[in-house]
Amino acid sequence: MEHRDADFNILLATDSYKVTHYKQYPPNTSKVYSYFECREKRTDPGKSRKVKYDKTVFYGLQYILHKYLKGKVVTPEKIQEAKEVYREHFQDDVFNEKGWTYILEKYNGHLPIEIKAVPEGSVIPRGNVLFTVESTDPECYWLTNWVETILVQIWYPITVATNSREQKKILAKYLLDTSGNLEGLEYKLHDFGYRGVSSQETAGIGASAHLVNFKGTDTVAGIGVIKKYYGTKDPVPGFSVPAAEHSTITAWGKDHEKDAFEHIIKQFPSVPVSIVSDSYDIYNACEKIWGEDLRGLIESRSADAPLVVRPDSGNPLDTVLKVLEILGKKFPAEENAKGFKVLPPYIRVIQGDGVDINTLQEIVEGMKEHRWSIENVSFGSGGALLQKLTRDLLNCSFKCSYVVTNGLGVNVFKDPVADPNKRSKKGRLSLHRTQSGEFVTLEEGKGDLEEYGADLLHTVFQNGKIVQTYTFDQVRDNAKLKEIAWTPVTM
Amino acid sequence: MFVCPVVRNTNVRKSGSVCTVIILQCTDSYESHYITHYKQYPPNVSKIYSYFECRRKKGSQFNEVVFFGLQYLLKKYLTGQVITEEKIQEAKVFYQLHFKQAVFDEEGWRKVLEKHDGRLPIRIKAVPEGKIIPRGNVLFTVENTDPSFYWLTNYVETMLVQMWYPITVATISREFKKILAKHLKATSGSLQGLHLKLHDFGYRGVSSQESAALGGAAHLVNFCSTDTVAGLLMAQRYYGCPMAGFSIPAAEHSTIISWGKSREKDAFERVLDEFSSGPVSVVSDSYDIFNACKHIWGDKLKERVMERGQDSCLVIRPDSGDPAETLIEVIKILEECFGCLLNSVGYKVLPSYLRIIQGDGIDLSSVDEILHKLTDEGWSAENVFFGCGSSLLQKLNRDTLSCAFKCSYVETNGKGMDVYKQPVTDPSKVSKRGRLSLRRNSDGLFETVERGAGKPEEDLLVTVFENGCLLQNYSLEEIRKNARLREEEMTPTTHNHKEELLHKHIINGTH
Repeated sequence: MEHRDADFNILLATDSYKVTHYKQYPPNTSKVYSYFECREKRTDPGKSRKVKYDKTVFYGLQYILHKYLKGKVVTPEKIQEAKEVYREHFQDDVFNEKGWTYILEKYNGHLPIEIKAVPEGSVIPRGNVLFTVESTDPECYWLTNWVETILVQIWYPITVATNSREQKKILAKYLLDTSGNLEGLEYKLHDFGYRGVSSQETAGIGASAHLVNFKGTDTVAGIGVIKKYYGTKDPVPGFSVPAAEHSTITAWGKDHEKDAFEHIIKQFPSVPVSIVSDSYDIYNACEKIWGEDLRGLIESRSADAPLVVRPDSGNPLDTVLKVLEILGKKFPAEENAKGFKVLPPYIRVIQGDGVDINTLQEIVEGMKEHRWSIENVSFGSGGALLQKLTRDLLNCSFKCSYVVTNGLGVNVFKDPVADPNKRSKKGRLSLHRTQSGEFVTLEEGKGDLEEYGADLLHTVFQNGKIVQTYTFDQVRDNAKLKEIAWTPVTM
Repeated sequence: MFVCPVVRNTNVRKSGSVCTVIILQCTDSYESHYITHYKQYPPNVSKIYSYFECRRKKGSQFNEVVFFGLQYLLKKYLTGQVITEEKIQEAKVFYQLHFKQAVFDEEGWRKVLEKHDGRLPIRIKAVPEGKIIPRGNVLFTVENTDPSFYWLTNYVETMLVQMWYPITVATISREFKKILAKHLKATSGSLQGLHLKLHDFGYRGVSSQESAALGGAAHLVNFCSTDTVAGLLMAQRYYGCPMAGFSIPAAEHSTIISWGKSREKDAFERVLDEFSSGPVSVVSDSYDIFNACKHIWGDKLKERVMERGQDSCLVIRPDSGDPAETLIEVIKILEECFGCLLNSVGYKVLPSYLRIIQGDGIDLSSVDEILHKLTDEGWSAENVFFGCGSSLLQKLNRDTLSCAFKCSYVETNGKGMDVYKQPVTDPSKVSKRGRLSLRRNSDGLFETVERGAGKPEEDLLVTVFENGCLLQNYSLEEIRKNARLREEEMTPTTHNHKEELLHKHIINGTH
């Protein structure tokens, strides 16, 4: 799976200051061992966060390993390029040319590090080790933390996948409550985020992370990432439907919104079609155009090819409820087995504006209160799904916990006096399951003792080779919802 | 064979290599509904004209934006031959599976290949990069140049809307600069060193390598201080700047804690020894920042610190606790141990061999708060530098500046029509109508002229891309010049009348 940009240079893909670290470790250090976790955060009991994110989905390491770390990553040209850049950037010769040349010569440019990780897709409680990195050659002790910068970017796919999964829990609960089953759950949250992310590459990674939990996406790039770096048994892991956008409506002119709607709906008679209806007046569009002028066309559509009405402005909950109310009058809703109202199968609604985990909760709760089944709607999310996230949401952190100096192993840690949350783990780490099925991280090499059972961290990368891979199907399987039982979110 | 008249050395794709992001696939599926949209426009449409703006939003703290990043997108994704038969086939197969039906416009794309040699028949006009433009103005326009390809305009929307990111980073970075400039001027009398005051720490906290490069470069429009190496390379490859930013040797927690808790002093000393000339930064909060400052820097290593000159100063880095309080306490301890001097405007400055960098919890409001507190305690802004990670490169989104791309004009059956959206439930989402241009009015303020009423000679939008060719090549140097702070943005007045006028003009949208 060779998908590396020829321009990419691992020697130039680190924070500048790390270029100078090889000179700063204790003399005769022969190993640096570091780990990654999503730290627990003991919050002020006064400040209750709306969503807790107790567990995280581990995802995205394989992409980084394949794309950036495996194989021959060091060449004489790359060494030269880095040397020149750093000379100018630091106005000094600090670059470790010797160290990188050693790697080139002894390992044919492969990185002498070992990475052990939890299987991708695993859902692990906060505060546990998720992967470890250690140098495998005494000369290359400095390499472990050189790759911190690139590896810590795993915060992003982890966070997207985790946040997406938490939304799946919300949708699952309300769908089950209001309909009695989970049919269509995987299409209830559609990725609208392509334009709202910071780059093409981010779009691919983020979209793939959302597809760990769902199957509906408009962010095509995610599918490419999955195919190239994970693989699925299905031809594609994500689907979409024909849909309008404002330009395809407004291009007809304000007085021709009905013509636009009619033209589009006729173009796609036998597949679902989503039509944005708020260009001028969403309520008028629902009541007059869909509800009266074009009603016949809609009623003749099959359950496999509904019209999906898309509002795109106004307060999300209010808009959804009002749209449902109007459509419910024009297209008589029936009560399902659970006593909730469902529109006829040829018409549905998608709310794709202002949707984040909090508004999602508000909308489904509001719908339930007004006796509308969640079967009626699906959601689209853009910025909140793929962009409005930071490393701080899950406190993703990479820290050194063990070194070998003068042949002796030392457990090391930080413990800043002003922030106990920032304390790091000590020594060599492993992840285990207790008798009761709980996850526990053992520190200080305690996992070596037989009594704790197998270490759940598996070697995935060794001296430039990827030794363990996961398919996207395995990732999805590991991440599937097990607990539909829901802890109510305090509003 | 069509030859681009102006810019040949786009310096992007190495010869022969295929752009890894295939243009047909770098778009939303529903833009791929472009794949379905070509079927949705009115019949006989021959032109779709759209534009991009950072919409005005009531209550927003950001009145104006830095236009930056388009050149990167054009060079990387849109210039030259972007369509090949191979890509068409790959996309066809893909979309069949993705939509579970044949909706892909194979014929349309093949026409691009045949008629235009795989180059995109669109025209993009844009504000010159680096320019500072008030919210609510057109920043660039896109239109098809060949009537057969009306659907192409909005096909490239998804990719071009990602302009929100470099624009927003450059804008926020510049807002930081305004705050820093005001405090620096007020407490030191000059702006010396301003361009080094905010250091980019965001590489690890951003969502991808590509974002790091683009965001990192956007920050370098305003500053010269960065650890995000990817940004330097972006500035070099796409904006012609051989070295856009600088850094200094610095410690991280692993290089300190690896010595063990009892040997923090040895760890510190090692840094001073290995980097005896030039400034160094040493993170000092691994165990107890206050102890480190008082007993290690201020006592055990005091002489080693004092022997460093102004050009090789020690920069102490706290990295935990409340950012403002920690900084104040640290500077007080350092004052006790090392003394201080008064500068020409009467503020305290630590000896020239000693400085502080606060790189934890920094955003626009905390940096302002910290500088205010320092001023209150009589300290000059010369004493501190700031590092910023997430808040600079990641904690932003398209809503921060309300970036949007909308169709404003179409031609159908040979007739032009101004089009727009005007959702009844959200007046802020109203879009502009007709062909647009950007001009300076009689007050010298920027304004957008709608409905094709603008005079071409007054139009500040420049054609930057046409039919596959890049027609402008901005250098980072020019961009930096365009984006530099204005006089009133650097003056520390409490009541800035001119700025208020500008703010009112923007928010009320008076033309």
